[in-house]
Amino acid sequence: MVQDTFIQYWTQKKEFESEEHIRAWLIRVAVNKAKNKVSAFFRRNTLPLEDYMETLPFQTREDSDLFGAVMALPEKYRIVIHLFYFEDYSVREIADILHLTPENVKVRLTRGRQSLRSTLKEAWEDDQ
Amino acid sequence: MTNKEKYKQAFSVLRPSEEFSLEVNTMKKTRNHRPLSVVAASFAACIILLGSAATAYAADVGGIQRKVQLWLHGDQTQAVIEFDGSGNYEMEYTDGEGNVKQQGGGGVAYDGHGRERPLTEEELLELLSDPEVQYRDDGTVWVYWFDQKIEITDKFEDGVCYVKLDNGEKTLYMTVKYQNGYATDTKKFVSPWEFN
Repeated sequence: MVQDTFIQYWTQKKEFESEEHIRAWLIRVAVNKAKNKVSAFFRRNTLPLEDYMETLPFQTREDSDLFGAVMALPEKYRIVIHLFYFEDYSVREIADILHLTPENVKVRLTRGRQSLRSTLKEAWEDDQ
Repeated sequence: MTNKEKYKQAFSVLRPSEEFSLEVNTMKKTRNHRPLSVVAASFAACIILLGSAATAYAADVGGIQRKVQLWLHGDQTQAVIEFDGSGNYEMEYTDGEGNVKQQGGGGVAYDGHGRERPLTEEELLELLSDPEVQYRDDGTVWVYWFDQKIEITDKFEDGVCYVKLDNGEKTLYMTVKYQNGYATDTKKFVSPWEFN
C-alpha cells in the first residue's frame, strides 16, 4: 500500500505548494487506501494484534501498554490521536487532511484522550 | 515525560527500516524534483495504525481508466477509476460537499483449489457497490446501499444488527457487528460468528 501510494504520487504529477503539502497529501491518500482495504478483502491476511505486537521491540512495558491502548481505540479516534501526538499536526491541519471540521477533530481528540486516560490511568496525563 | 514524548517513544518501533529509507533516497536522486524521505515514516505508522495488511504488489503504471456512475453515501456520483490489471484500483470523485476524494483498493479471490487470483474489473466494481455502514459523530449508525439510506442505530442487540436490503433487483441479507464489520448474503443472514 505504501508502494501504491508513492506510485500514485509519482504518476499523478500533482502540483504541490510545499513539502508539508506533499506530506499531508500522501498521508490522506494512504489513510484512504488503508481504510478501503480494511473494509474489503485483505482482512483475511491480517495478524492478530497481540502476535504483531510481540514482534515489536518496545523499550518498556509502558510503551507496549500505550501502543496497545491506542490500537484498541475506534479507528476514527486512533487516526486523529496519531496525527496529533506522533506527526505533530495541529487540529486545523488534521481537519484539512481528513476533511473534517476543526470542531470535529477536537471532539475525536478529546474522546480518544479520555479513553487513553481511562485505560492507562496515571501513565497518561490529563492534557485536555 | 509528556504524553507526546511517551507516545513518540512507544510508536517509534514502527519506523521504517534503513533499507526502505535507502530505497526512497535512491528515488529522490533519480527524480530530483520531489523530496520523499520525510514522509516515509508517516506512512509506515499510518498504515499499521489502520490495521491493514501491509501488502505490496507490482507496479503497473498506466492502467485502464474508466468513468462510472456509483452510489456513494447514498448519492449517485460520477467517479474516475483506474484499474491496474493486477486487482487494484484508484478512484477519484467529488463528494456532495464539493471535496475531491481519492480512494484506492483491491482484492483477491480464491478458486476451488485455493489458488489466489486478482479480482477482475467487474468484481472490483461490484465491490464498490457493496453496502456501506457509517458511524456518525452524533452516535447514529446508517447503512447506505444504492439510493437507500437506513438508520440502524436502535436495531443492535448484543452488538449485532440484521438488516434486509432490497433495491427492486436484488435482495441482500446483512449482518452488522457494531464497529466491527459486516457480512452479506443473498439468501440468508450470515451468523455473527461466521465472519471477522
